[in-house]
Amino acid sequence: MSFFGFDTARHNPAATGFSQTHNPFAGLSNEANEGEALDFEETYDGLGDQLDETDDAFNDDTFGGGSGVVSKTVGQDFDFFGQTAKVANAIEEEAVRFSRQLPAIKVAQAATQSAIKVAQSATQSATRSAVQSFANASGAASSYGYAAQPISQPARSGYEKYSQEPVGELQVDAALWGVAPKKHPPPPYAAAPAPAQAAAPASAPAGRKILSLEEVEAQMRAQAKKPAAPSPAPQPQAQPQVQQQVQYDPGYQYLQHAQPQNVAHPEHSRPREAPQHPGHGHPVPVTILQRPQSRHTPTAQSSAQPVPHQQPISHQRQQPSGTVQPTQILQNPSRLSGDAAKIGIPSHPTPPMSHPTQPVHRQQGSFSRHPHMIIHPSQLGQLSEEDKAAYLDQEAKRAKRNHKIFQMSRDNGIMTPQDKNFITRIQLQQLVAATGNPNEHSTDESISEDFYYQTYLFQTGSRQGGMRRHNRGPENHMQRMEQQVQRAVEAAKNKPKNKQLVIEGSLGKISFSNAKTPKPLLNIKRNDSAEVHRPGSAHRPVHVHGTDKRSELRSIESVYSTLMKMEDHERHMPPAPTGDADPEAIQRMNDWASEAQALNHKLWVALRVHDRPDSNGVHPFIALLSYNKGKRAMQRIFRHSTQEQRTTILTLIVVNLDNLDVVRNAQVATGDMQLNAAMRENVELFSATVMATLFTFMNELELDLVAGVLGLICTRNVDIIAKSRIGASMLTMILSRAEILKHSARGSEQAWRSWDATYTQFFNLLEPTLPYVFPGTVNTGDDVYVWQLLAAIGIGASPEQQSRLVLAVKDRVMDTVALSKTLPQDLAAQRLQNVNLFMRSIGLDVDLLD
Amino acid sequence: MADVGDEGSAVSEPLDLVRLLIDEVVCVKLRGDRELKGRLHAYDSHCNLVLGDVEETIYVVDDEDDDDEIKAHCEQEIRDVVCDSVVLISPQSRSH
Repeated sequence: MSFFGFDTARHNPAATGFSQTHNPFAGLSNEANEGEALDFEETYDGLGDQLDETDDAFNDDTFGGGSGVVSKTVGQDFDFFGQTAKVANAIEEEAVRFSRQLPAIKVAQAATQSAIKVAQSATQSATRSAVQSFANASGAASSYGYAAQPISQPARSGYEKYSQEPVGELQVDAALWGVAPKKHPPPPYAAAPAPAQAAAPASAPAGRKILSLEEVEAQMRAQAKKPAAPSPAPQPQAQPQVQQQVQYDPGYQYLQHAQPQNVAHPEHSRPREAPQHPGHGHPVPVTILQRPQSRHTPTAQSSAQPVPHQQPISHQRQQPSGTVQPTQILQNPSRLSGDAAKIGIPSHPTPPMSHPTQPVHRQQGSFSRHPHMIIHPSQLGQLSEEDKAAYLDQEAKRAKRNHKIFQMSRDNGIMTPQDKNFITRIQLQQLVAATGNPNEHSTDESISEDFYYQTYLFQTGSRQGGMRRHNRGPENHMQRMEQQVQRAVEAAKNKPKNKQLVIEGSLGKISFSNAKTPKPLLNIKRNDSAEVHRPGSAHRPVHVHGTDKRSELRSIESVYSTLMKMEDHERHMPPAPTGDADPEAIQRMNDWASEAQALNHKLWVALRVHDRPDSNGVHPFIALLSYNKGKRAMQRIFRHSTQEQRTTILTLIVVNLDNLDVVRNAQVATGDMQLNAAMRENVELFSATVMATLFTFMNELELDLVAGVLGLICTRNVDIIAKSRIGASMLTMILSRAEILKHSARGSEQAWRSWDATYTQFFNLLEPTLPYVFPGTVNTGDDVYVWQLLAAIGIGASPEQQSRLVLAVKDRVMDTVALSKTLPQDLAAQRLQNVNLFMRSIGLDVDLLD
Repeated sequence: MADVGDEGSAVSEPLDLVRLLIDEVVCVKLRGDRELKGRLHAYDSHCNLVLGDVEETIYVVDDEDDDDEIKAHCEQEIRDVVCDSVVLISPQSRSH
């Protein structure tokens, strides 16, 4: 195991330095060893192999932080070595450069070497205090632990950021953003000239070239052989090193230590070390990369610098300002074109010294770069004032854009492609779930791809199954993604099939929606086949058969109101005009008559006499007679009607006699069954109103009309008519009128012949029904109207018809006579008297039967 | 149907419908859980009524019981109904 990443097998475990101080570098950096060629392997006792890396517990022991036992010298030596190592880096850089300029090499190397010495001696005291103060401040075992990591990958890591925390001016290294990895390499080379120029300005124009390891070593050897001679120029070089240690946290220093070790080896153990670590020549640029940052820090922290070297620093700062700047622009032409942010505050005080490094450029953005353009003599000369303003404006825009890009790209590269794949798969999974493919409900699949489930597994450490699957690599990811895409597509295909969800018993459907087909709010199923029921349209057809009670009632009311008006109008009848001399009276009479005529017409219309019968064959006027108030109105109607109207009404009633409710629904029963009270009442009312009216009217009719009426009855159902009380009464009425006419000897011979024919027809129709026209049994009684009918028939009948008549009703006559003997006197007399009506009509008498 | 036009004139206000019920059997609902069933003899514009052959039914509404209980049932030859107690007048289907 190698703590610092180099081969530990070659170290000598028995070396003394480490065991005493617990600091692996203590021996190296000891003052006593200075000047000697130190063999690193001899000083290393292999204690690093025994370090417990699992914890940070011994970091303090290792690095001397926070422990009271550790002496001052530990810190001193520690820092000293780091510093030396960095100087060695600088030396190497310079060697690289100077190797191109052979004449200057010797001098430069000597100067550099001397710089190391001077720096070591001059900064000892400052370094010592600085390190200890920092160690106390940070107390940071964690920082040590963290710092240990970058050794394996020293190129780019978090310590740049770390190191900036104490340094306000510095900002995040742009390399961290992963924006321009390709631009990163330039900084080392761009930064390299700065120290070179600081040390030996004359060498600035020298071309840069990456030296081979052998060349570097050769230069190192040459360096080591020449004792350092202090020179004023190199001194500033040491100054940044001191400050670097002051400013930076142990992590940073640690990196500095770790890498310089390799670089420093040529200096101390030239013969063996360099060949043994051929790969360690590579980190050199990395170290250089960091150096510019550290070099930069002094400019802001100059007040904190140790006093002795204040002056050289200022010298260093002033001197390059004229010369370095053009070099910078020269070095970064490609970046300048790409990075458009060169504008900002023109009066930015940042000295040119702050620009040597690429990272600084990036961090400071537009602010720090603008001075470049202004300061650049060639560009300034070419630009007029207007152009300058336009250019500045343009630059401001680009700076703005760049800043935006920077803001957006801040987190670039945080996710690895695998992470992205994973997220994509989760989203696809959700898509599949949302589209609701009902076939894809295997819980295993869905769970194993759930992000939170994975996270849970990861935290509980039981994610082996998932991990194994996960570790199958990106191919697997791609495969699964393809599968999921397929599934999503399938689900989308299936989806339109069930666009709506109909829940049983609900009013409507629940519709799913997407962007293309927005959700309809409520889709109520309309039954097309079902008939639309509308009160207005449905009303008429239903009542087409004329049982429209309301219209009948309306007609009746209309009849009544008309009758009342007519009666009122009758009372206002003007006195009959006395003669032609009174035209006004005649006029009044005419007006009155016309008004009466109008009312009469209205009444006639209201009676609906001329309306057609409905589908049931019930005439509207007959329907009006089914109402009691209609019946009652009959008498008044006749009084205000003309003779013709009355005849029409009579005819209408006779024609519809078997359709009258009081006839059809009041048939006599053969048994004891009685009509209900309501019907009896109706029959009674009809007899009292309509029949009485008709009887009155009938008594005024001539024989021809009576014969006509009887003829009409013959066309109807005589059986039904005869078996009802109303019907029987009607027949009796007709026959009686004819008999009266006969007795009064009125009517023509022809009329009588007509009448006789009609009567014969009627008798033939009626004869079969005669035995059944009696209401109830003999005991019921209440059959006087039947005897009256029989009497009416018998009077007009021929002797042959009379004998048939007697035969038809003989049983009832005999039963009644027999019954009358059991009845009380008066009742018996009553019954016998009724029978006698008939008997006498045919010239017989009940007494004869005894 | 020559009388169609006259039908409209017969009914020009709500009580004209009540007029159609004259001499008809009607059901009258009264306040106080009473119902009358009888022949409508007369009415006026305030809906004061004169009924004949009236059956009067008084219901006792019991909250705990679902069915209304008939408390009193009486028949009267003539019943005058004061208008302010009338809730509803409805025709009775013809019964013969």
